[in-house]
Amino acid sequence: MKFDGQTLAGNTGFKVGKKVLLVVVLLLLALLPMFPNSAYLVSTVTLIMIYMALGQMWNLLGGYAGLLSLGMQAFIGIGGYSLAVFSIDAGLNIFVAVFLGGVISVLFGLVVSPALFKMTGVYFAIGTWVVAEALMIFFSNWSVVDYAKGIMIRSVYFLTGEQIYYIAVLLGVISVLVVYLLMRSKTGLALMAIRDNPAAAESMGVKIFSTKLKCYMIACFFTGITGGVAYINLAYITPSASISTQWTIAMTFMVIIGGIGTMEGPIIGSIIYVALTQYLYNFPGISMTILGAIAVAAIMVVPNGIMGTIHNKTGFELLSPRRIMPPDWKKLLGVERAKEQVEAAGDKASKKE
Amino acid sequence: MLQYLVQGILLGGLYAIIGIGMSMVFGIMRLTNLAHGDLMILSAYLALTFCDLLGGNLLLATLFTIIAMVIIGFLIQAFLVNHVLSKGAEPALLVTFGISVFLANLLHNIFSADYQSLPNSLTNTQVISTDLVSISAIYLFSFVVAILMIVGLHFLMQRTNFGRSIRATSDDDMAAGLTGVNTKRAYVYAMMLSMAVTAVSGVLIGSTYTFNASMGSSYLIIAFGVVVIGGMGSLIGTLLGGIVLGVAQLLGSYFLGTGVQLLVAYLVLLVVLATRPNGLLARATRK
Repeated sequence: MKFDGQTLAGNTGFKVGKKVLLVVVLLLLALLPMFPNSAYLVSTVTLIMIYMALGQMWNLLGGYAGLLSLGMQAFIGIGGYSLAVFSIDAGLNIFVAVFLGGVISVLFGLVVSPALFKMTGVYFAIGTWVVAEALMIFFSNWSVVDYAKGIMIRSVYFLTGEQIYYIAVLLGVISVLVVYLLMRSKTGLALMAIRDNPAAAESMGVKIFSTKLKCYMIACFFTGITGGVAYINLAYITPSASISTQWTIAMTFMVIIGGIGTMEGPIIGSIIYVALTQYLYNFPGISMTILGAIAVAAIMVVPNGIMGTIHNKTGFELLSPRRIMPPDWKKLLGVERAKEQVEAAGDKASKKE
Repeated sequence: MLQYLVQGILLGGLYAIIGIGMSMVFGIMRLTNLAHGDLMILSAYLALTFCDLLGGNLLLATLFTIIAMVIIGFLIQAFLVNHVLSKGAEPALLVTFGISVFLANLLHNIFSADYQSLPNSLTNTQVISTDLVSISAIYLFSFVVAILMIVGLHFLMQRTNFGRSIRATSDDDMAAGLTGVNTKRAYVYAMMLSMAVTAVSGVLIGSTYTFNASMGSSYLIIAFGVVVIGGMGSLIGTLLGGIVLGVAQLLGSYFLGTGVQLLVAYLVLLVVLATRPNGLLARATRK
């Protein structure tokens, strides 16, 4: 992270304009179903909210915690199947079932984390993927989830599109809030410190392992919940579709196009992703090919994504995870004094020679 | 049981070839090529197409496939991966992920989801056929090709200037650059070599099993497993890794049924990843 003057100047906290913008967006989201002829838009925004929640969690891991995971689809499967099994076979309320999906996701994450957290970087990415693939094969051979046949989730049929919309919006807003508040908490500071310099962070008392594990648990929980909500919307689940790399492709695509390591990246990314997939729906078959090509092109041209590029050029941030630095932060942190001391020590050394 | 063991070992040879191409790219530029499985499936389809065009001459089709894949390797490395390698590991990883998505869906559109196989005379020939063991000629052939390729690559890497420049780049790219090795070019050569091996593995997989466009990712995991279990850059280890996975998979199918055979292989891989992340034959770690 750069603490140059421009970043600081452009980041003097929540300006009134931004606050108004946020309130307007939230109001529009709340009132959208009341507009006439908004049915198509409502179903599109439902998808955007679900994908945004997934993107936020993937970004929390990949963008902030340095845990590039290619296996978060495992938790979508767990969430979706928890909804199906607990609400149909056990007869529980669907929201309890979705919540249980989150809890089981956390437990599953805890069980696999000792192995996964021994790996770093690429190993972690592939390790998570192998876990997800293994889980997919397991589900396909498990009687409790009716093997690979799939389950019609009849328990959610009573919900109207509008109700699902509000569930999705709630989920989307909560996911943004959770990541935002987390990044502005002590954990967020610790994460940025680890990202910038792990050795220095650790020597200052930041617990790298437990900080990352905490993020992983949060991401597991909300990805599981989102999986449940996604399958409230889809109402039919199979192992190969729920624990599918399609989800990973979506998460990766959204965050990279939008801007990895930014709060707004997954929001913009999810809008682009859903709009693009809806549009490419007219060209069945080649849509994923085009998505793949766009993703490669985006990494080549704007490796920081849309928000990352905008932020680097203008310093604009809607939801800054950073705290506002007081204008005299250098003095407060003793940077100037430390610099003087270093320089003085350097002078002394050169005089000795 | 013996049948499964023997078949597992021979399958390991096939897996080793899949892993070598990946190991090379990983060992030299620290890049996990997530498109590796899809590129392999692409080679199988290319061989199938050439085979049709050439009137069923699989050997000639293989040659054309190798040439085509080497060109594709050049294009991917020179125009895509080389540009993002300097930006860190993640962008390069994600570029290959994008290529993987692109290829898998492209192949799916062109060739549909139907299972295909490369016609050849070896598949239905049994080399050994007793009550205890029967070995299909194609398995034995793949195994022999795997060993020949490992020996050949070993010589190439150890004894030629080409191999030395690649190894030097792999050990320390900056120092190699200072002594006059064009590291970016070495990366391109490595990718081209890797794609040549991938082409051969694609042809062998296509002749041994049926394949379709969506199988790339499971072969990618196999390739990664082979590389991880065998240890990075170790060619002999790669063979061992292939055999471990092959035997695990077939013993899994013997004890638990064919549905979960890959699950057993994946679990073995996860255990190795968690306990010996540098591979079973790990020497002192490089870097």
